[in-house]
Order: sequence, then C-alpha cells, then structure tokens
Amino acid sequence: MNNFIIGLAVIVATTLLYWGSVTVYKKFRHIYTVPIISSTLVTIVILLTFQISYETYMIGGQWIDHLLGPAVVGLAYPLYQNRDILKRMLVPVVTGTFIGAVVGITSGLLLSKWAGFSELIINSIVPKSVTTPVAMAIAEATGGAMPLAAVFVMIAGIGGVLIHPFVWRSFRLTHYIGRGVGMGSASHAIGTATSMERDQLEGSISTIAMVLSAVLVSILAPGLTILLL
Amino acid sequence: MYKTVTILIQFIGLYFLYWLGTAIQKVLNLFIPGSVIGLILLFVLLSLKVVSERWIQQGAGFMITHLPFFFIPATVGVISYAYIFKGKGMLLIAIGMLSTVLVMGLSGAIAQIMVQKKEGSYE
Repeated sequence: MNNFIIGLAVIVATTLLYWGSVTVYKKFRHIYTVPIISSTLVTIVILLTFQISYETYMIGGQWIDHLLGPAVVGLAYPLYQNRDILKRMLVPVVTGTFIGAVVGITSGLLLSKWAGFSELIINSIVPKSVTTPVAMAIAEATGGAMPLAAVFVMIAGIGGVLIHPFVWRSFRLTHYIGRGVGMGSASHAIGTATSMERDQLEGSISTIAMVLSAVLVSILAPGLTILLL
Repeated sequence: MYKTVTILIQFIGLYFLYWLGTAIQKVLNLFIPGSVIGLILLFVLLSLKVVSERWIQQGAGFMITHLPFFFIPATVGVISYAYIFKGKGMLLIAIGMLSTVLVMGLSGAIAQIMVQKKEGSYE
C-alpha cells in the first residue's frame, strides 16, 4: 500500500474517532471520558490489535501533529478575550502563576532526580503543568521525549482534577482567584475545563493562568534545567 | 461553506505567525518554542489593535475547541515508552501528583493572599 493511502486512512480514522469521543463525552461527562484520553486509548488498542507500528501510524499522524504549532498561537485569543480581568488582577495572577511555574519545574526535576531517573525522563516531566502542545515543544528543546511529556501532562491534568478538593481544603483556597490560578497553573486545559463548569470567573482566571504558565514555563524551564540537573 | 473558508483563511494567518515565531527562535537562538513566540506576537498585535479580533476569532476558536484532536498522534506515541512506567517507574506517577499538589496549592495560595490584601485595603 502506498504512503498516501495509509496517511489518508489514518487522518480519516483519527477524525472519526475524535468525533465519536466528543459525542460520548457530551453524553457522559466524566474525567475518564475526556476525549483526549478515550481517543488515545482506543487508538492504542487498535494499533496493538492489528499490529500496526507507531511509525506506520505516524505517516498520517505527522500531518495532524504539524497543526499543533498554529493551534498554540491561537491561545493568544482567549488571553486577549480575558484582558480586562487580567488587567485588574495582573499582579496577583502573574505572581501566583510565576510561583507555580517555578515550583512545578523545580519539584518535578528534583524529585525525579533524587529518585534516580534518567535525564530523558527528567526533561520530560519538567514541563508537565502546561498544556500538551507547549509541554511537548519544551521537552523537545530540553532533550526530553515528546510522547512521554504528553503522558506527564495528562497525569498533572487528570490528577489535579481528581485531587483538587483536597488541595483547596489543605491550602484554604476559597477565593475564585486562588482557585483559578491553582487550577490553570497546575492542571492546564483539563483543570480549566473543570473550573469553567463550576464558575465563569474562576474559569476565566484559570484560562489566563494556563496561557501565562505556558509562556513562563517555556522561558524558565531551559535555564532551571541547566542549573539544577 | 462560508464559515469553512473563513476558518481556513484565519488558519493560514495563525500558521504564518507560527512560522514567524519559529524563524525568530532560530535567528535569535532562543530556547522558547516558536509556537509560544507566535502566541506572544499575536497577543501583542491584538493588544496594539494591529490585528483585529475579528480576523482570528473563528480560526483560533476552532483550533482551541478541537485542540485535543491535534495532539492525539503525539499522545499515542506513549506506546513506545510504556516500559518506563513498569516497576520503579510507577514512582513517576506519584512524583507527578505530588508536584501537581504543590503547584496548585502554592500558586493559588499566593494569588489569593495578594488579592485579599488588595481587597482589604479598600475597606
């Protein structure tokens, strides 16, 4: 079979799978039906069942992959939409997110270093609190593995959503600013979606924190990695 | 149909900014990903009103709504790394969780303390 047909088949199949997973998610809203998780799992099961290699899958996958860059650029739009609330709360939101970025990079790096993991793994865990496309770009720049970085991003996102009631109690987060900054800084888009479902204001703050965090972590990660590793 | 064309044209605009961001990254030898430079560029252009919100609204909205679709191939790549999470690798999940708790708690607490001070000073 030639590459064009394989590529096209992958793109069509992925589109259908994604569309299906979104439909299921709309009916059964649950952390485990989040489209990225269900789509990824079903794809992996299909690849393993039919013994299709990742390389073959990527003949089509690379075309989808290639659109990630412009999608990240598009994140400027929600940041701009929330500019009024950003201006009013600039100092607390930026400071909180900055601390979150430093804590996330440092704790991920030092904990995995002390546990004796390889540099490939450490560099992949460092950007875990930011949205997947940015985390993968950071991992690529610092010598991590992109798919591994994506897995850690999922752990931070899903883990954060599961554990946030505990964090809010322990750290006494009662204000929508504190909650929004926490969710956006730690659990990126998955956390933001959860915040948005509960409260529009908290969701807007979380959106701002998520985008700011992506920018801050990509600026801070390379330097801190060299310093601490 | 009209909407599809609008999204496509706006996508080309986003793609151009991504390309520009990547070019800036290469020329200046920066570690920041080209896509993030493009994001900053677009935010600045929107703030300065050089780019009108209407020019990117639908394209950016579409890309963000369906953001998960664009990274499915990348997350599927974990099948090549599944071995890492065996045995001692389970520890990585705990590390990820612990670090996430610290980020959420500390960033939120600091933002909240600053806001409450600010709100308190108006009383």
